[in-house]
Amino acid sequence: MTQTALLLAIAVPAVAALLTLLVPNRRAPWAPAILAMLVCGFELAVAIYVFPTDFAFAWPWMGFGVDFALRLSRLSAFVFLGIAALSFLVTLYSTVAMAKAPSSRRFHAWVLLTVAFSAGAVLADNLVLFLVFWEGLLVTLFAMIAAGKSRPFATAIKAFVIVGLTDLALMFGVMLTGHLAGTLSMSAIRLPLDGLGAVAFLLLLVGAMGKAGAMPFHSWIPDAAVDAPTPFMALLPGGLEKLLGIYFLARVSLDLFMLSPESWVSPVMMWIGAATILLAVLMALVQKDYKKLLAYHAISQVGYMILGIGTALPVGIVGGLFHMVNNAIYKSSLFLSAGAVEREAGTTDLRELGGLGKSMPITMACFLVAAASISGVPPFNGFFSKELVYDGALERGWIFYAIALGGSFFTAASFLKLGHAAFFGRPADEKRLVKETVREAPWPMLVPMIALAGLCIFFGVWNAVPLEGLIQPAVGAAMEGAHHGTFAGFPTNMLLVGLTGGVLLLAVLNHAFGVRRTGKGLGAVDHIYHAPGLASVYKLQATGALDPYRWLNGTAGVAARILFAIDRAIDWVYQTFASGLALVTSGFLRRLHNGSAPRYILWALAGGLTVVLIALAVVGGGS
Amino acid sequence: MSDLLLLVPFAAVVLLNLLPKRARAAGTWIAFAVLALEAAAAFAERFGYAGEPAWSPLGAVFGFHVAPDGLSGLLLLCAGLVGITALLVAQKTLRETRERFFFANLVLVALVGINGIAMVRDLFSLYVFVEVTAVATFILVALDSFTEGRGTEALEGAWKYILLSVIASVLMLLAVAFLLLSAGDTSLEAARGALAARDPLAWIAIALFLCGLFVKGALVPFHGWLADAYTAAPAPVSVFMAGIVTKASGIFALLRIASSTLNGATPGREILLVVGAVTILVGAFLALSQKNMKRMLAYSSVSQMGYIALALGGDLRLGILAAGLHFFNHAISKAQLFTNAAAIERELGTLDMDQMGGLGSRMPVTAGTSAVATLSIAGLPPLAGFWSKLLIVLALWNVGEYGFAVVAVLASLVTLAYFLSLQRRVFFGKRDERWAAVRETTPGLWVPAVALALVTIALGVGFPFALEILLGGGA
Repeated sequence: MTQTALLLAIAVPAVAALLTLLVPNRRAPWAPAILAMLVCGFELAVAIYVFPTDFAFAWPWMGFGVDFALRLSRLSAFVFLGIAALSFLVTLYSTVAMAKAPSSRRFHAWVLLTVAFSAGAVLADNLVLFLVFWEGLLVTLFAMIAAGKSRPFATAIKAFVIVGLTDLALMFGVMLTGHLAGTLSMSAIRLPLDGLGAVAFLLLLVGAMGKAGAMPFHSWIPDAAVDAPTPFMALLPGGLEKLLGIYFLARVSLDLFMLSPESWVSPVMMWIGAATILLAVLMALVQKDYKKLLAYHAISQVGYMILGIGTALPVGIVGGLFHMVNNAIYKSSLFLSAGAVEREAGTTDLRELGGLGKSMPITMACFLVAAASISGVPPFNGFFSKELVYDGALERGWIFYAIALGGSFFTAASFLKLGHAAFFGRPADEKRLVKETVREAPWPMLVPMIALAGLCIFFGVWNAVPLEGLIQPAVGAAMEGAHHGTFAGFPTNMLLVGLTGGVLLLAVLNHAFGVRRTGKGLGAVDHIYHAPGLASVYKLQATGALDPYRWLNGTAGVAARILFAIDRAIDWVYQTFASGLALVTSGFLRRLHNGSAPRYILWALAGGLTVVLIALAVVGGGS
Repeated sequence: MSDLLLLVPFAAVVLLNLLPKRARAAGTWIAFAVLALEAAAAFAERFGYAGEPAWSPLGAVFGFHVAPDGLSGLLLLCAGLVGITALLVAQKTLRETRERFFFANLVLVALVGINGIAMVRDLFSLYVFVEVTAVATFILVALDSFTEGRGTEALEGAWKYILLSVIASVLMLLAVAFLLLSAGDTSLEAARGALAARDPLAWIAIALFLCGLFVKGALVPFHGWLADAYTAAPAPVSVFMAGIVTKASGIFALLRIASSTLNGATPGREILLVVGAVTILVGAFLALSQKNMKRMLAYSSVSQMGYIALALGGDLRLGILAAGLHFFNHAISKAQLFTNAAAIERELGTLDMDQMGGLGSRMPVTAGTSAVATLSIAGLPPLAGFWSKLLIVLALWNVGEYGFAVVAVLASLVTLAYFLSLQRRVFFGKRDERWAAVRETTPGLWVPAVALALVTIALGVGFPFALEILLGGGA
């Protein structure tokens, strides 16, 4: 029964995706969205149904140790539940949000395929099977961005190239891991982190981080924020990709390899995490677009998860995974609020927005809860997971803690700015965005936001439920070293809590200072933007010079020109030389065949004579 | 029992000519029945295709031995399928009952020769049956000239065919005479013994006989007649000749001699290799620059016959298997391509490829089947042609003839080039205004094409099974 349920969880969305494409567009434009929502509801039901069971099965598939193997462990069960829940809420939201989009049908087909592939990737227990689903996600990622409005294709290609390259690393990682372990069954692999093992680990790490959008594989996300449909942002970069990427990261670090604090890989991960936190949040700080600002936070928050898992300490790992769940909740909620604002106000440009709190109180309330969560304000969920990550980071070195704390400061500052600019103050054009013209979003958009905001509070106040029910069982083995058995409840280290509070207070003061200095909410961080040192970095960033994709393109451009020259030369050999030679030969032979019978007879006779003479010569010479 | 294969077509010819003039249309149906029997005979186990001498009163009277084996079965099957296709094409392209009656008659006469070639085991009888086939074919090529106002071209084509065939006859008769002097017997076994003894006279005899067969099979430089004959002949004759006549009288006889007499001996093997390679290249390059569709197909045939000769020069057992397979594949595909050409000629009234283009949307079945056949001959998997070419290359590789193997592979690029150019010029691109009203051809022409294309696909996809049957059949 569980087996059937798991197979259905992968097959039903995939089949539904095909069905969606068959629905006639004109007759029932609403059908794909409704179908997607119903299927995701089914997915959620399956996830809840199978959640308590531990289950594994394998069918022989391609041979060479590549089985169709699925496994429901504590970790995959809970990530699967997260994926199902999130996709249900986002599809509910998009029934309205995407209703008028011409690409609604395609979009929902891709959403369904994404759900199918995600379920497959999370449940797969064979590295190759996992890879198949994982690569499927690359295709849907490309297709969903391409379903956007303005100039989505360049962005879609950018995402495809970046994620594709990391997937390539993953592919090599899978090969190397399989080679080292002698098996492709994920639950049977347990490798030490040395020599080639470390290389394999790093390759897999790149794959996981590329999916999660950590630096330096992040630069397509802010572009997609502008070009891709908003539900896409909430679903993939906001939610599913983090869940999948961090799930795999945890799986690799905890299951496939024996990550320990002594290993040199651990500091590498922590530095990547720390750098991602700080650099991305600095970019987020100065954004002037609602969605783009969120996109940079979507990158920055991954840093906390990687930092947490990278500590290789139980407290850090639990914190990282808890942060993964929390991030999926509040980040989706934030993106959904952006979608609501975009729909009602017609723009997400913060320079035009303002004072929306009066006309969209529920959206604002949800935003405030989610923003407080991401900023780490107690008692919301983000506070608790961040405290756990801080705890682990501090144990491994004060510098990691300091960076993570600094990240919190900028996070809080940027959300103060965002909230102030969008929901308070006054809009630039006071006639347009007044209470009479802007209304609250419709309920299918509000319900997911409210549900997610509610979860922010629930997972914060009753953090024992997710921690003891979901995450600690998932970490399992690593928990054995934990001293007090559970990480639930209010943080015990009051010094850290105090410091967090101080930083939050500092952010508020900074905001007040900035607002007073410039007179508006949007200008709250201008003094940081113009700070010596940072200003030049920001200017560079504005030109795109700091985008690794640019560097890649630049290098690729030079390489391409060289290769093109070589290619032309080879092409000449084929195209001009070989075909020319062929045509000349052909023409020559054709002119020889002028239809004259005597000539043909002569050839035949000459040929006959030659053959006989040769035969004679060979036989005569041999005897 | 094997005598039936000679007697039935012969009796059918007699029966046809006893028919009252008004009932001549029925002649075609009699021919159909005979050809269907022919194809069925290919599968009839009771003929005992084991290569053992068979009981044959006819042979006793006329002094020849018959011993049908797996290769004979292959030829019978080809003859049946191609003959039926040619008759079907004749129904739709030859306008007068009289022409169709002549056609059926001559096909049956040729069939006597072909069946003889399939079974006999001595060089003189082989020569006789080759001549029987040839005589019928001379007239077939000139069939157009029976009608007033047409046919000078056909006569010219037939004339060249006769001229070169006469040379072949002379060469083969000479060979038989020399062999009698050398071995005292013309059986393939005796010839083999004389060759093994390195008797120069026997070698001259075999070289001459091979040259005669090269003419019949149109290998370079003995190929002059083929393109003119194929192009000038009416559509069903092209199908019949390209599909079976040239192959039976030239290539099948070559196969027989290579497997029973030469037995891989030097310099027989080398002659086959060199002639084969030259034929492949010259034929392919000639095909590349043709404007007339049938002429391009004709030169393509030349080139493909080279492959078979090349295979016979390779590894003995594998080479003969590969040659037999390529023989079958090419017979099926080329008969089909000439059927396609007949369809196009019927609908357009021309075979000049420069005037065609964009016909694919108008004649989708013709375009599709033509694509299958061309890709198969060019050797693209998973079609049947791929496997036979693969085996040919393997047969060469196994005996260390790497150079010839490379030629075989590279020449398939040229094959692909001219066939793609055919496909593009005829079926893709812009359509001329003149062909605005062109429609898919009559089922009488596309049904056989589809059937043959299906054979190609089925054999390609189910190749492992086919190979098992062939190996079991003793090829």
